[in-house]
Amino acid sequence: MVVYSFYIFDRHTECVYVKSWMPPQVPGTPAPVLSTGSDNAKLIFGTVFSLRNMVRKLGGDDDAFISYRTGQYKLHFYETPANLRFVMITDTGSASMRNVLHQIYINLWVEYVVKNPLAPVEHKGGAGVNNELFELGLDQFIRGLM
Amino acid sequence: MKVASKGHSLFRIDNTRRVWFSNSQDKIDILETNSKAETRFMVSPSWPDTLNLTLVSPDSRTVFSLIIINKAGGLIYNKTFHEGGLNKISTNDYLVLAGTFHGVHAITARLNPVKPVAPPPTPGTNEPPNRPEPSSGLEVLETENFRMQCFNTLTGTKFLLFTETTQTNVDVTIKRIYDLYADYVMKNPFYSLEMPIRCDIFDRKLLSYIREINNR
Repeated sequence: MVVYSFYIFDRHTECVYVKSWMPPQVPGTPAPVLSTGSDNAKLIFGTVFSLRNMVRKLGGDDDAFISYRTGQYKLHFYETPANLRFVMITDTGSASMRNVLHQIYINLWVEYVVKNPLAPVEHKGGAGVNNELFELGLDQFIRGLM
Repeated sequence: MKVASKGHSLFRIDNTRRVWFSNSQDKIDILETNSKAETRFMVSPSWPDTLNLTLVSPDSRTVFSLIIINKAGGLIYNKTFHEGGLNKISTNDYLVLAGTFHGVHAITARLNPVKPVAPPPTPGTNEPPNRPEPSSGLEVLETENFRMQCFNTLTGTKFLLFTETTQTNVDVTIKRIYDLYADYVMKNPFYSLEMPIRCDIFDRKLLSYIREINNR
């Protein structure tokens, strides 16, 4: 399984955290080019927001959008009751990552961001999110999956 | 009669509550079924232990509805096969949904994290360099209550099939629906391209095909 990137969006639809991992290079093929950037985060937010609303309209208010897959990648989505949204992009072969995103929320976000006395309530521009413990914990957790 | 799978072997349950395995002559009797739709079976001595098999609920192999979107994002066909699977929404909402999905589909193709690379040209020939395979857009969407499969034809027409989350072989179903569309819509001399589909025979063939799946 390969994890390409990970995003967190706050309740004001702002992207407060981005991280991407280079996929391992297969010998004999040109190095894959990872596309990242702030535009990508906006596109991803628009996509998951539209799909979430579509799913709620069709499946009822208790329905939740879990993931979608294209021929090249798979996007996993998890939303907390406070409208904090976690998005992870992996390769197509990976199983459901919903519990993984939930674990990231419980064990990393709540522990290292919410319980951090120095972190602000609103994470404008990612303030308070990119602290060392969160960064390290996330990287270790994701590398453990791969 | 219901079909469920245990590992890779298929089995079916007949009216006398006996389980038959498709790949062997083994058969076992059902002992009890609890409220969580779990069924306990007594197996013959040649089997190692009592098996606990979780049965899929009676509704779990259902096609809910079909939507066809033309290449401009307009809704041209919309049919519900099973009431109660999805919320009822107005025709106007369906039109909005089709347009939204059309846009989202284009964005999901752009979001591809690994940029497609062109295969290297065959050495020794003077051919122009190959183009990379274009990224496909959204193919399968999963939610807690349903699963949606999208089939994008080469001309940009999209077939969206809404099914139960546990539905299998949806790509076969959707290809078959595309066949029906090609046979009874595209070959209809009175059908004008990109316009809403009003073909009686397509309706009938589609309905009987889906009924076959839903009653299996």
